[in-house]
Amino acid sequence: MRRGSIVRMVIYGVLAGTVASLIAVLVPWLPTSASEEMDRITFTFWFTTVICIGIFAIVAAIIMYCVLKFRAAPDDERDGPPVHGHTGLEIAWTAVPAVLVTAISVVSAIVLAQNDDPGSDPLRISVTAQQFAWSFEYPGEGEQRLRSGELVLPVGRKVLLTMNAQDVIHSFWVPEFGQKKDAVPGIDTTLVITPKRIGSFSVVCTELCGLGHATMRAPVSVVSREDYDAYLARLASPPRGGGGQQGAETGEQVFNAAGCGGCHAFEPAGSDSEVGPGLDDLAGAAQNAGLGLEEFVLESIVEPDARIAPGYQGDVMPQTYETTLTAGQLDALVQYLVEGQR
Amino acid sequence: MTEVHHTHDVHAHGHHAPPPPRTGLRRLTGAGWLRATWMTILFGAIGFGLVVGLRALAGWDPVLQWDVLATVAFMTTAPLGFLAGLGAFDYWVYYVSGRPTRPEDHSGHGATRWSDYFRINTDHKVIGVQYLVTVFVFFILGGLAAMLFRAELAQPDLQFVDGQAYNGLISMHAALMIFLFIIPAFAGLANFAVPLMLGATDMAFPRLNALSFWLLPIAGLMLVASFLAPGGAFASGWTAYPPLSTEAPMGQIFFNMGVQWAGASSIMTALNFLVTIITMRAPGMTFWRMPLLVWANFTTSLLVVIATPFIAGSQFFILFDRIMHTNFFEVQEGGYVLGYQHIFWFYSHPAVYIMMLPGFGIISEVVAVFSRKPVFGYRLMALSLMAILVLGFSVWAHHMFVAGMADWLRVPMMVTSMIIAVPTGVKVFSWLATMWEGRLHFRTPMLFALGFLSMFVLGGLSGIFLASVPIDVHASDTYFVVAHIHYVLFGGSVFTIFAGIYYWFPKMTGRMYSEGLGKLHFWMTFVGFNGTFFPMHWVGLQGMPRRVADYAAQFGNWNLVMTIFSFLLGISTVVFLYNMIVSWARGPIAESNPWRALTLEWQVSSPPPIFNFDEIPQVVGGPYEYGVPGARHAVLHAGAATTEVREEEVVR
Repeated sequence: MRRGSIVRMVIYGVLAGTVASLIAVLVPWLPTSASEEMDRITFTFWFTTVICIGIFAIVAAIIMYCVLKFRAAPDDERDGPPVHGHTGLEIAWTAVPAVLVTAISVVSAIVLAQNDDPGSDPLRISVTAQQFAWSFEYPGEGEQRLRSGELVLPVGRKVLLTMNAQDVIHSFWVPEFGQKKDAVPGIDTTLVITPKRIGSFSVVCTELCGLGHATMRAPVSVVSREDYDAYLARLASPPRGGGGQQGAETGEQVFNAAGCGGCHAFEPAGSDSEVGPGLDDLAGAAQNAGLGLEEFVLESIVEPDARIAPGYQGDVMPQTYETTLTAGQLDALVQYLVEGQR
Repeated sequence: MTEVHHTHDVHAHGHHAPPPPRTGLRRLTGAGWLRATWMTILFGAIGFGLVVGLRALAGWDPVLQWDVLATVAFMTTAPLGFLAGLGAFDYWVYYVSGRPTRPEDHSGHGATRWSDYFRINTDHKVIGVQYLVTVFVFFILGGLAAMLFRAELAQPDLQFVDGQAYNGLISMHAALMIFLFIIPAFAGLANFAVPLMLGATDMAFPRLNALSFWLLPIAGLMLVASFLAPGGAFASGWTAYPPLSTEAPMGQIFFNMGVQWAGASSIMTALNFLVTIITMRAPGMTFWRMPLLVWANFTTSLLVVIATPFIAGSQFFILFDRIMHTNFFEVQEGGYVLGYQHIFWFYSHPAVYIMMLPGFGIISEVVAVFSRKPVFGYRLMALSLMAILVLGFSVWAHHMFVAGMADWLRVPMMVTSMIIAVPTGVKVFSWLATMWEGRLHFRTPMLFALGFLSMFVLGGLSGIFLASVPIDVHASDTYFVVAHIHYVLFGGSVFTIFAGIYYWFPKMTGRMYSEGLGKLHFWMTFVGFNGTFFPMHWVGLQGMPRRVADYAAQFGNWNLVMTIFSFLLGISTVVFLYNMIVSWARGPIAESNPWRALTLEWQVSSPPPIFNFDEIPQVVGGPYEYGVPGARHAVLHAGAATTEVREEEVVR
């Protein structure tokens, strides 16, 4: 290899490396981190990226050099030099990548151990996933468990989520937190998150779970510790008496907490999902059923498969709302839906 | 495909006139489409009657249980009737029933008119073409499904399709592309090339070969027919995780059964390749003289034979849970849903190498020929295939880092997943070294090989990100994964399939394709591919999950860009098909060896004689001795042996 060709190779390599680095730096690849775990994931990401840009630059430089330098004329029938191999080179390009991927593995394993560590006293919150809504259970005073359709986390405190699914597999992901884990029927899975930034985010279901997969979201707030305590206090206040979506009193709160908007369009609530029938105009359906509007709405919530709206399938909507909502909440929800009719 | 260039006397038979036309009742009873039609109906009716009869006798309600009826009558007995009617089992039935078989009748060989491609044909070259034409039908269907859901994804919210239809389209796209395009496309190319490269007259089991091909359209039709099932097509993704798949409408059964037929086809072909490669190498063709395409198909076939039964099992579990009320994945009855994922990925990870190793083989052929140099580090290239084969079975759980499986399994699976990048890297560097100081001719196959090299490197690098557990925890189940899989399966596998098709087109058809259209096809594919799939890395890491019909408004612009480029990709396929069809019909007659290659398939006429070689060649050296003065791969004249080589005796 002559010196001129080495210089040209290096130029191509630097060129390719620079382009790749610019793409890496100028595009905001990862969402702005909101958890300590995401900080470590971000570090692993950039550690790997630097190594990969190096490999990419070398390969791109060689391809560019070959294409530009070794192009043969169409009528050139000569063969190239009969080089069959080079033991030193072959050992080098087996050993060097092996070392590099081992380095990435070591960094990843250390980060994984840290990201999985719940510490000695994490805040324990249970997550339940069902088609197509999330619900969360917070520890209250003593044995009390407080339920909500919203995930509220205190900033700076390690949280251990214990997850379960009621029907099919779902997956819990908040992009800004980085951490992700499937919620699986029949087994409990866990996930550690240490929020570090106050703000509003969204739980995204990332495991295909059926018709409403794309709209299976839940609101997430990271708040100060005082605000978290205040939120828990609000959850613990009436309606009392077990079960129910605590803290949800008005019909609108119940609608959101129970995740109705994940499947149903309802203008007053601002939801536009098309998984289930829309709820803005129910008078006709109630008439067809021969029921009063309130009666019909209540039946549709507690016994959803009693009548299936034309064009929809049965056995999709959970049949558990009679037990997961208190009587007062059901009443508020029915009133909210009836009053919101067009 | 009309001229037969050489007569042959190795098997002491001449060329056959077509059998006399059948008349009367014999038209109904002789193997062919007519018999296939009534036997399909008859066997379907027998299956139907069995289910209904037994259920009525047992007093089970309902008597017409459509899940069971579809499984037994439509997807088991009717296809068997079709195969029997077409004549796939004739020889064996004659044999086991003690009737005289027809050992010297090679009327099943060769193709002299178009209808010869539509019958049970035992010629590996015809079967290769049958495979390739069939898989491109399903490639088009899978591509149209992709364009439909890309149209839906052009804007947030739902415009064209609802959730069920969208999930059906993405599931169908993946299932067709994997089971009915990439895997069988490689089987088709290898079917054509491997026996020729080995110096063999055909595959070891030609009748088994014909049977494996005809299982394939059955599997494909089954998958596509699921659109007609009540409740729509299977819609739980190509991964079909339970309990979503066990609770899904009936269309899911079409996937369960379609995979069985495609899998059976794969396994039979793989066994055939293994026996062919081990026992039918020409004299002098030692393992270390085999072309790397043959090595690649040897390792791939081992993967297929070992791994494919696992996906068959996983789909049977789902089916049994549905129709036999077993409880493999029924949580309330003690089922364990993650068990499915382990079994499924124990096949489906090796499957990505089933979809990649044959492509590695094609690239080794193409890069050596168009660089006019020996493959750099030939033995290490072969050994790295074997390393990938072994390591490929130790990485499956990297698909399950966030699935909730045993925590301890993640780090070991990460390490093996990282290490498998090493033999893959060895191959990439060896191809680069092969090009180094070569005399590069940028014909269409070489362009696709270079496209493959650059795209596959990107796919490999994004694979390193996904192998790292903490990064995968963030990126898993997002569009980043969609980008990665398309960089390795489209930028990787599909580019190599195109390279292989352009490379062997003159040998298969005896005609030359249009180089200009080939290059246009390459550049449209290359630009369309990157425009479609590169932005997916970014939207995925930013927070867009995969398999969603609707997404956050912030990703709208990029999705529109991807959709536009995906339509460019769609149009590029039209250019390809036009080139193939018109060139096959009217292209200029191809020379026997337009690429000046050394491997055996190029030493016979284009297309090759019915039995490939007039005399079995004597192999005397390696397959890639470009630039080595006086070196030969093989001598194609019996008796010339190794001692004296006279140029004029070489059949060209």
